[in-house]
Amino acid sequence: MPSDADLSDDDRKPKVGPSANSIDQSLDAIENQLSSISVGQSEYESEADSDVEIKEPSSSNQDKMEELPNGLLNRDSGADNSEELPRINVVEDVSSSIAVWRNNSEEMEAPASPSSSGYAGERGSSNASSRDTGIEEVDGEILEIGNGDSFDGGSNSQVQWLPGKRHGNEDDASTSWRKRKKHFFVLSHSGKPIYSRYGDEHKLAGFSATLQAIISFVENGGDRVNLVRAGKHQVVFLVKGPIYLVCISCTEESYQSLKGQLELLYGQMILILTKSLNKCFEKNPKFDMTPLLGGTDAVFSSLIHSFSWNPANFLHAYTCLPLAYTTRQAASAILHDVADSGVLFALLMCKHKVISLVGAQKASLHPDDMLLLSNFIMSSESFRTSESFSPICLPRYNPMSFLHAYVHYLDVDTYLMLLTTSSDAFHHLKDCRIRIEKVLLESNVLNEVQRSIVDGGMRVEDLPADHDSHSGAVSLHLGQPGHTRESSERFAEAFIGVGGPAGLWHFMYRSIYLDQYVSSEFSSPVNNRQQQKRLYRAYQKLYASMHDKEIGPHKTQFRRDENYVLLCWVTQDFELYAAFDPLADKALAIKTCNRVCQWIKNIENEIFLLGASPFSW
Amino acid sequence: MPSRRRTLLKVIILGDSGVGKTSLMNQYVNKKFSNQYKATIGADFLTKEVQFEDRLFTLQIWDTAGQERFQSLGVAFYRGADCCVLVYDVNSMKSFENLNNWREEFLIQASPSDPENFPFVVLGNKIDVDGGNSRVVSEKKARAWCASKGNIPYFETSAKEGTNVEEAFQCIAKNALKSGEEEEIYLPDTIDVAASSQQRTGGCEC
Repeated sequence: MPSDADLSDDDRKPKVGPSANSIDQSLDAIENQLSSISVGQSEYESEADSDVEIKEPSSSNQDKMEELPNGLLNRDSGADNSEELPRINVVEDVSSSIAVWRNNSEEMEAPASPSSSGYAGERGSSNASSRDTGIEEVDGEILEIGNGDSFDGGSNSQVQWLPGKRHGNEDDASTSWRKRKKHFFVLSHSGKPIYSRYGDEHKLAGFSATLQAIISFVENGGDRVNLVRAGKHQVVFLVKGPIYLVCISCTEESYQSLKGQLELLYGQMILILTKSLNKCFEKNPKFDMTPLLGGTDAVFSSLIHSFSWNPANFLHAYTCLPLAYTTRQAASAILHDVADSGVLFALLMCKHKVISLVGAQKASLHPDDMLLLSNFIMSSESFRTSESFSPICLPRYNPMSFLHAYVHYLDVDTYLMLLTTSSDAFHHLKDCRIRIEKVLLESNVLNEVQRSIVDGGMRVEDLPADHDSHSGAVSLHLGQPGHTRESSERFAEAFIGVGGPAGLWHFMYRSIYLDQYVSSEFSSPVNNRQQQKRLYRAYQKLYASMHDKEIGPHKTQFRRDENYVLLCWVTQDFELYAAFDPLADKALAIKTCNRVCQWIKNIENEIFLLGASPFSW
Repeated sequence: MPSRRRTLLKVIILGDSGVGKTSLMNQYVNKKFSNQYKATIGADFLTKEVQFEDRLFTLQIWDTAGQERFQSLGVAFYRGADCCVLVYDVNSMKSFENLNNWREEFLIQASPSDPENFPFVVLGNKIDVDGGNSRVVSEKKARAWCASKGNIPYFETSAKEGTNVEEAFQCIAKNALKSGEEEEIYLPDTIDVAASSQQRTGGCEC
């Protein structure tokens, strides 16, 4: 839980007033930025010898943090290098308190002194070149939106994007195919294509054979190929028995992230077919599983699409539709009722968000399984048109066997899933659904769900003010814009642009015990698909660096680049990821994060599903 | 995109180096021939769509290198093949005698479920050379060997002139298709709740 002591002792001081505060802060900021320059430069030098970085080993040029030169920085650091240092690498650690952090910055000044020497010019030029790369990559990202993922266009609602096969006429000889930024392939251990994100699988048979040859060649030597780097491209391999999965990407995502995506892709395949596949391949290496996957293109393309917008993919947590506590209770109560009558899992979901879920005794559902299951249901058009009874496998629950899922859409977004082990339970589950639907209508749950969709979730603009909010916190609810408008005005001087106080643009909060996360609605300026995708990737990278097994785990991270200030804070109970304006003040940002945590705590019974059986696996 | 079921057939081409495996494939897929010899490194892959008895299917052709140093790649390359094409040069006795080794090596490495009936096709290539005057392996001899190995279909080809290439690959496709015909019903288990709680072990199995 957020306590003032954890982050900043400034928080404990009584507020003198915004103006006095901001003077303090800007002095701090100058000091911080000065120390930042020093840190960055000394680090850049060491980087020349080795690839070791303090924070993120997998980082490439794009990862280098940048302190945007602003007026203060230029004035105080002198003209000799400010012009020549368009890009400064900064790795800052938000230590347990501001006081400690200040100590750090003092210590760090010592190795930094050469920065004011004649080396600056030299470094300036090399830094400039690295900046070029950064821009190029950003352009590349735009390019992708422009040509590859033009279907993705639109805003944060996912409705515009239609799942399905893309560019089915391409093959590996097509220029357009070669330009795609992110390919996914699934093939069998005999080199027969099973799935390709772009292009026709059969036309890609030769390419698929090449991939198999590479994998098998390394395997023959008793080794395993995980990653191949080729220029801007990374080729990531994942071998799952007789199934080979390959991702070829120039999106700058980390190896860990891409591998995680391949794992999910495999999981999706298991969800549809179970791992009994392996037996078929054992019996007959020629086994062709493509007919078994017939009609599932949309399932895979929609999963792959979600790799660029759904944080559940890397957080391994699910998110709930915000609802009043009593409303969710009403839904949970009726699901509990049916779970007692031989239903293994009962889930009520709205798009990819959970309204309520109940498991039979001792049965637990992994968030990844929920992700794959809801993706399967939402991307298969036929579930929408009638009640269905379909065999599905939950890879984290039991990858070898099928369960049976009764699926029924209660309205255009809301659907009920009842999972059972019995293949003849259809009529019983149908009766259950009728009961559930009746109760949900009577208790107005479905209307509340629709209202919640319209109202949206947490908005950074509504972040309640700090100290005064404690007393009134209980009355805080979502979807009441205007409630906190005044309070955000208090910080109007502290940031430029729109968004929340202190330049807060967005946040994600993951509760470790609940296996759930909540993220704020996107607000300006992160208001188009392209911006959101970029932020998603930044979070993904931040997550990977926080959880890096070799150098982590870390507790806090503060990084600034030309796009954002990103702040991450990991405790035993939660992980908080927040994005701020790149010019945001550090101390204010930290304070704001504390307020976000407090806010979440205050409304946790609306945004989380509480009291669900603990998940153990 | 629901489409008619398409089949993909994996075809391995084996034979001594220089017998014309790559040239045969090139003639078949690209209708091209070059006199220049370029050794295949490891393997080349080509695909060709074939219509057969109103069905469309794709041949995935694995053109392997003949040199012995590449034979360690065997298992990896041969796995899951639908048909194996053995090629020799009618002007080279050695390349013919080696067919037996290639066949046995393939059966060992690929370990098909029914080795007796695994579809092979034998091609005697380069029948055009020197107007047939330098030929050392007679058709009779070749056919006798094929008959002794379970009636392997035999074709005399010229990759250069394109003689019999189309016919040979039609036969290859037909035989590959036949061997892939046995279809199984895919029926995985359903969870037994009592057992499943024990089955589930901690952590993911990745």
